[in-house]
Amino acid sequence: MSVADMPNAEIPGAEMPDWFVHKKPRANLIVARWVPAALVGLPVLVLFAIVVYPTVWMFYHSFQDTNMMRLFQGNWSFVGWDNFGAVLSSGRFGDSVVHLMQYLLFGCVLQVILGTILALTLYEIVRQEWLRVILLIVLVLPMMLPPSIVGVLWKFMLTPSNGAVNQALLNLGLVDKHVEWFNAGVSLWAIIIADVWNWTALPLLIVYSGRVSLPPAVYEAARVDGAKGWLVMRRITLPMLKEVIAIAFIVRFMDAFKFVDLVYVMTSGGPAQTSELPAYIAFQRGIREFAIGEAAAYAIIIFAISAVLITLFLKYLKKVLKAQGIA
Amino acid sequence: MSEQTARLIRTLLLIFLGLWLILTLFPLYWQFITAFKSAAETNRTIPSFWPEVWHFENLVSVFAEPTNFSALVDSFIIATGNTIASLVLGSLAGYAFARFPRQAGGENLAFWILSNRMFPPVAVLVPMFFLFDAMPWGTDSYLSLIILYLVFNMPLATWLMMVFFRDAPRELEEAAYLDGYTPLRAFVKVTLPLVLPGMISVAMLCWIFAWNEYLFANLFVGTQVRTFTIVIPTFTHGSQTLWNLQMAFSMIAMLPPVALFILLRRYMVRGLSLGVVKG
Amino acid sequence: MARLQIEGLCKGWDFPVIDRLDLTVEEGEFFIVVGPSGIGKTTLLRLIAGLESADAGRITIGGQDITTLPPYKRPVAMTFESYALYPHLSVFENIASPLRARRLDKAAIRKAVTDVAKLLRIETLLDRRPGEISGGQKQRTALGRTLVAEPQVFLLDEPISHLDAKIRHELRLQFHSLEELRRVATLYVTHDYAEALSLGDRIGVMGHGGLVQIGTARDVFMRPRSLFVAQHLGQPAINAVAARLTGEGAALQAHAGNTSFGFPVVAAHAAVLARGDCGQVTVGIRPQHVRVLHNGEDAPGHHVIDAHVEIYEALGANGVLVADAGGVNLTALTSLERDFAHRQPVRLALQTDSVFYFHADSGDNLLL
Repeated sequence: MSVADMPNAEIPGAEMPDWFVHKKPRANLIVARWVPAALVGLPVLVLFAIVVYPTVWMFYHSFQDTNMMRLFQGNWSFVGWDNFGAVLSSGRFGDSVVHLMQYLLFGCVLQVILGTILALTLYEIVRQEWLRVILLIVLVLPMMLPPSIVGVLWKFMLTPSNGAVNQALLNLGLVDKHVEWFNAGVSLWAIIIADVWNWTALPLLIVYSGRVSLPPAVYEAARVDGAKGWLVMRRITLPMLKEVIAIAFIVRFMDAFKFVDLVYVMTSGGPAQTSELPAYIAFQRGIREFAIGEAAAYAIIIFAISAVLITLFLKYLKKVLKAQGIA
Repeated sequence: MSEQTARLIRTLLLIFLGLWLILTLFPLYWQFITAFKSAAETNRTIPSFWPEVWHFENLVSVFAEPTNFSALVDSFIIATGNTIASLVLGSLAGYAFARFPRQAGGENLAFWILSNRMFPPVAVLVPMFFLFDAMPWGTDSYLSLIILYLVFNMPLATWLMMVFFRDAPRELEEAAYLDGYTPLRAFVKVTLPLVLPGMISVAMLCWIFAWNEYLFANLFVGTQVRTFTIVIPTFTHGSQTLWNLQMAFSMIAMLPPVALFILLRRYMVRGLSLGVVKG
Repeated sequence: MARLQIEGLCKGWDFPVIDRLDLTVEEGEFFIVVGPSGIGKTTLLRLIAGLESADAGRITIGGQDITTLPPYKRPVAMTFESYALYPHLSVFENIASPLRARRLDKAAIRKAVTDVAKLLRIETLLDRRPGEISGGQKQRTALGRTLVAEPQVFLLDEPISHLDAKIRHELRLQFHSLEELRRVATLYVTHDYAEALSLGDRIGVMGHGGLVQIGTARDVFMRPRSLFVAQHLGQPAINAVAARLTGEGAALQAHAGNTSFGFPVVAAHAAVLARGDCGQVTVGIRPQHVRVLHNGEDAPGHHVIDAHVEIYEALGANGVLVADAGGVNLTALTSLERDFAHRQPVRLALQTDSVFYFHADSGDNLLL
C-alpha cells in the first residue's frame, strides 16, 4: 500500500512544510502533459460535432418558426415559447404521453419484474450449470435481433386474419374470434407485446449477472444460520441486487424515451396516431412533416427528461462501481 | 413458510420459466418454418404450424434480387467501419482515462462521454441530416452512417475500454518503463495483449449494435446505400408481401449477431452491463 | 562513479509523504530502507525510478541529474513487491524484456538470459509462464529481469516479504552472495528489521517524512536515535515505560508513574542524564536485557525485581514472557527449556547499563 492511499494520516507534531503548501501539481514523467488530453480530446471533439452541435441546433430552433422552406431560405424568426406551447397544448402530445405511460407500465415495469423473476428462478431453481447456460442464451436471444426484424416478425405473427398468434389463441380456446391487433386502441398493445418479447432479456441478463457476482460467502453464512428459501431471497439477495435492478430499470426507462423502431415498423404510430410515442412524433414532425421548430421542441422536452434519467443512472452506476472497486 | 408451500412456489416458478421459454422460442420457430413455406402457404386463411413442403430453395431465392445481397454487404461495411472507428477512438480515450485520470479530464468527463450513449437520437437526427446533406459525402453514403453510429458506439467503447484498462495492472506497464520501453512500446508489449479479450468483446458489441441499427439508416440512406435493416420492412413484390422470403432473409441477417453473442457470451455480459458485472 | 545522490527530495499528495529527504548511496553499497508499512518507502523507490515526479529536490546518478527524466531513460532497475511479471510472456521473455527494449540481437539476448537464469537457478523454468511457477521462482525471475538490465542503481521493493520463511532465508543468503548486486548502488526496501539487520551495509530507518536514522546495522540497533527507531528494530519490540527520574547525581532513580516499578540509573547514564532537564522520560528496555532468574540465582550488576507471569509464549528459538513487574508489563526473552504458569511469581534481572532513555515528548535518545 502506498501512503497515497491513506486518507488524512496524522503527522505527529508537524505543520505543513513550505514546499508542500506551495507545491504545484506536477505532470507525470511518463508522457507529456498534452498526451492524455489529446487521447481524450479526439472523441470529445467527435461528440461535439455529432451530439453537442445538433443538440444546440435543436435548442435554438425550438424557439424559431423554422420549417423546411424557411430553413432553406434562411429566414426563420424567433417565436419564443410558441413551439413548446403548441406541443404541450396539442392533443397529439397529450395522447402520446398517455401512450408513453401505458408503455412504461406494461413495457418497462413489467419487463423488469418479469426479467428479475426469470433471472432469479433460473439461478436459484435450475440446478444444472450447463442447462442454466443454455437457457440463458435462449432467453437472451431476442435482444440480439435487429429491431426491424423483430417488428416485421411480430407484425407478421399478429396479422389479424391469418396470423400465428390469433390462430394459436383460437386453437387454445382463449379467444373465440380473431383479435384485431392493429385497430385503434389495440395497436399500442401489439407494440408492447413485441417489445416485452424483445427486451425482457435485458433486465433478465443484468439481474442474472448481478446474482452470479454476489459473494458466495454471504450465502454460506446464511446457511450456517439456518436461513433458507424466501427468507434468504428477501433478506440477502434482493437487498444486494437493489442497485443492479435499479440500473436495469433506469436503462429501460431511458430507452422508452427514444423508442421509435418498433412503432415505426409495426404501426407507424397508427391507426390515427393512436400508438404514437413522444419520440416517434419528434421524428415524424421533423422528418416527415417538416415542422422543424416543433420537432425541436419535442426533442428538447425529451432531451430534458432523458438528462434527468441519465443523471440518475450515472449516480447508481457510480455507486455500484465504487462498491466493486472499479471506479 | 411451510415446506409444502415452498415446493409449490418452486414448481410454479419453474412452470413460468418453461412457459416463457416457449413464448421466447415461438416467434423464432414461426420465422423458421415460414422461411421454408411456399408463398401460397403463407397466405392461407388458416396458417399451418408445419410446412407442407419444405422449400429450402427460399434461402437462395432471396438473393435472386441482387440488392438483397448488396444490402448485407452494405450493412457489413458500415458495421465494420464504425466498429474500427469506435474502437480506435474509444481505446485511446479509455486508456487515458484509466491511466492518467486527472490529465484526461477526470471521472466526470468519462461519465459525460458515457452519457452520450443514453442520448435520445431523435434529438440529433434533423440537424445531422442537414449537416451531412451539405457535406461532400452527402447523407446517402457509407461514411454518413459510419460517423452517425459513433453517437452510440464510441461512448460505449470508451467506457468499456476504460474499465478493461483499469483491470490490467498498472504495475506491469511500470515494469516495462523500467525495462526501457517508451509508453507506446510498453502499451503494445504489455497492456494490449492483456486487454485483447475485452477489446474483442467491445468490438463485437459495437458491431452488433451497428449491424442492427434501423432509425438512422432509415432516414439517411436508401438509394445508393441500403442496409438490410431498411430492406426487410419493405420486402414486397408488387403489392404483396413475400412473407416467406422476408422471413428467410431476416433469418440470414440475424445470424451474425446471434452467432457472435453465443460465442462471446461471457464477455458480452460484462459489456452489456457497462462493466458492472464481471461475466 | 555511479553513486546515487538524493538531495532535499519532497513528495506529497494529500499530505507530505517524503519531506526534504537526503541520502547518498555509494557505488557497490547495499543500502536498506526499513520502516513500518505505509510510511513512504515504496514512494521513495518510485521517485528514484521516475514512476512518480518529485515535488522538490534533486536526484542524481553518477553526477547526472535525472530528476525530470522519464523512467525509461533512467539507468535504474526495480523489482516490484508484486513481482509485476508479464503474465502472457514466458519466464525467458520476462527476463529478456530489458534487452528486447534495447533491441539487442537474438544471440546476445539468449546468452545473457541463460547466464542470469543459471545464476539464479531457474534455467529449467525458462519456457514456463509466470502463472505456472512458485512464489520464490517468481521472485527470482523478477530479480533476473533487473539483473540482466545491468543498471547503475538497483531498487528492490520488499523482494522477499511475501514468501514463506524457508524460501525467504534461502533468498536472503542469495542477496548476500550476488556479486552483481554488490557492484552497483542498491536500495532495498523492507519492513522486516531482521532482513534489514542481516543484509544491509547501511540501514536507513524511515519515519514520517523521511529517514530518521542512517547507520550500520549495529549502530542503528545499539544506538537508536529515537524511540521510534528503537521500537521498530527488534522482535519482540522494546519495552517502553513512561518513567520519572528522581534523586540527585549518582543516586538517580527511574520510577514509573503510579506503580512500584523502578530501578537505579547506572552511573554512566546518570552523568549524562543529569546534565539535561529530563524529569519525565520514556525508558526503553530490550527484552533480551530482561533476564528471568532461576530460583536462588544471583545477578550481580543487574537490578532484580519481583514480578509474576502474565503471558508466556514458546516460540521457535526462544520463549517470550510477559510479566507484571509492580504494575508495569515487561517483555522478556527466555530459553525454551523453561516453562511458566500464569500468575507464577518470577524474579527479573534488568541489565540496567543497556537501558535507553528517551525524551518523553520528542522521543529523542537522551544518552546520545
